[in-house]
Amino acid sequence: MNEQLQESIIELLIQKATFGLDREELRQLEQIKAEAGIKEDDSFDLAAAAIGLVDLEIDEQLPAGLSARIAASADEFFASAQDQQRVPSTVGTESSAGDDEYQKIFTVEPRKSWNWLGWAVAAAACVALVVNVWITRTNPSPLATNIPTPTVSPEKLTPEQEFASLVSSQPNITKASWAVGNLKDLKEIGGEVVWSDEKQKGFMRLRGLPINDKNKETYQLWIFDKTQDKATPIDGGTFDIEHPGDVIIPINAKLKAQGAELFAITVEKPGGVVVSKRGKIAALATVETKTKTNA
Amino acid sequence: MTQAILHSIASGERTAVQDCITKYGGLVWSIARKMLRNPDDAEDAVQEIFVDIWKNAARFDESQSSETTFIAMIARRRVIDRIRHSTRRISPDSLDDVLLEPFTRSDRDMQISVEAKEAAEAMRTLRPEQQQVLRLSIIQGMSHQEISDATGMPIGTVKTHARRGLMQVRQVLGLGNAERLKEVSV
Repeated sequence: MNEQLQESIIELLIQKATFGLDREELRQLEQIKAEAGIKEDDSFDLAAAAIGLVDLEIDEQLPAGLSARIAASADEFFASAQDQQRVPSTVGTESSAGDDEYQKIFTVEPRKSWNWLGWAVAAAACVALVVNVWITRTNPSPLATNIPTPTVSPEKLTPEQEFASLVSSQPNITKASWAVGNLKDLKEIGGEVVWSDEKQKGFMRLRGLPINDKNKETYQLWIFDKTQDKATPIDGGTFDIEHPGDVIIPINAKLKAQGAELFAITVEKPGGVVVSKRGKIAALATVETKTKTNA
Repeated sequence: MTQAILHSIASGERTAVQDCITKYGGLVWSIARKMLRNPDDAEDAVQEIFVDIWKNAARFDESQSSETTFIAMIARRRVIDRIRHSTRRISPDSLDDVLLEPFTRSDRDMQISVEAKEAAEAMRTLRPEQQQVLRLSIIQGMSHQEISDATGMPIGTVKTHARRGLMQVRQVLGLGNAERLKEVSV
């Protein structure tokens, strides 16, 4: 790792430990760490936490009601984790990944003995995919083209199927219809957005959003919910419109969204932005009530 | 030696949850109250912090830090995140007091005895300006620019003091990689 990169990482880690980082700085830190192959490092945060203890006076215990609420939320958390069978796998994964991370500042992540197997499988899959694409493009099989696409794939659902599945499976789902924003040339837009607080998953169905030039601009979704300040809505991910007609776009929320009140699609530079100037708002969807799909 | 509560939580022992709330509830509450001031904000933050604790229990490594420091770190991260998102700022009780007060509190005043004592000793190895910058930054939650404005130090000097001071505390407390530290501390 070169000295300049090292300096940048230290500066960001110290800033993170002492005063925190904004989204752009966090993104920058993650990018630099990825480029340098550096693992997570908590040592500066731990040092700052230790300093914070020096003057700390614990002059009162948790309020009784709060303590009870935390215990109740713990029950919910662990029950949910067990339901999803995530507790053993998640904990195990984090544990193995974090075993030596505290000692490894600025060291390249060590390769584990079986890591090559995953890469080998991935490489084999990529080769198979490339060969398959090449074969089907250069010598399309009449058999393949005549076989109808199965309506339900057990391996991977289409966006349409995922959209329908989410709507039908969630008793309380947030739903809102798109309306035009402030783009002069955009007179009409259709479709809706659905979001599940429980699943932290959602989709946009859009009709009439113009095809964008990916080299010049992209669309970006913003979620205004009850947890975030209105000045800093949740980034719901960037996307492009490549063909006319109905499109279904999965939402890629960067933070946990709870109680969404408004969805907005803005036009931004390629790659998206951390904070939108909200100059070009392509579409807005205001949530009025949660839909009871089972009712 | 008894097993760390966080290890018990990570291994799925539900009884450890109540132990964790009982043992560390006061610590987490105090951190949230000190940094957020507003009791309602603090209550919301504390609930989020404990969820973060459940999620991160398996990451705790007792060879690197005490359980107290690890939980304090999780609490600080969450509180800082809330402060930054809400654009609310920590308001020091009295900036003059903070600027003048050195790390000379007696041990009996320290509520988190072992960890606080070690951190205080580490702080005493720093130059007064470094101590001051870290106090304002970490304890009072001031940005580098705000510290510069309050103390009259150039912003570059504030950053240098923060950097060198925190790296030294980190080294004295045995956090991170000391050998690597030498390469980058100057």
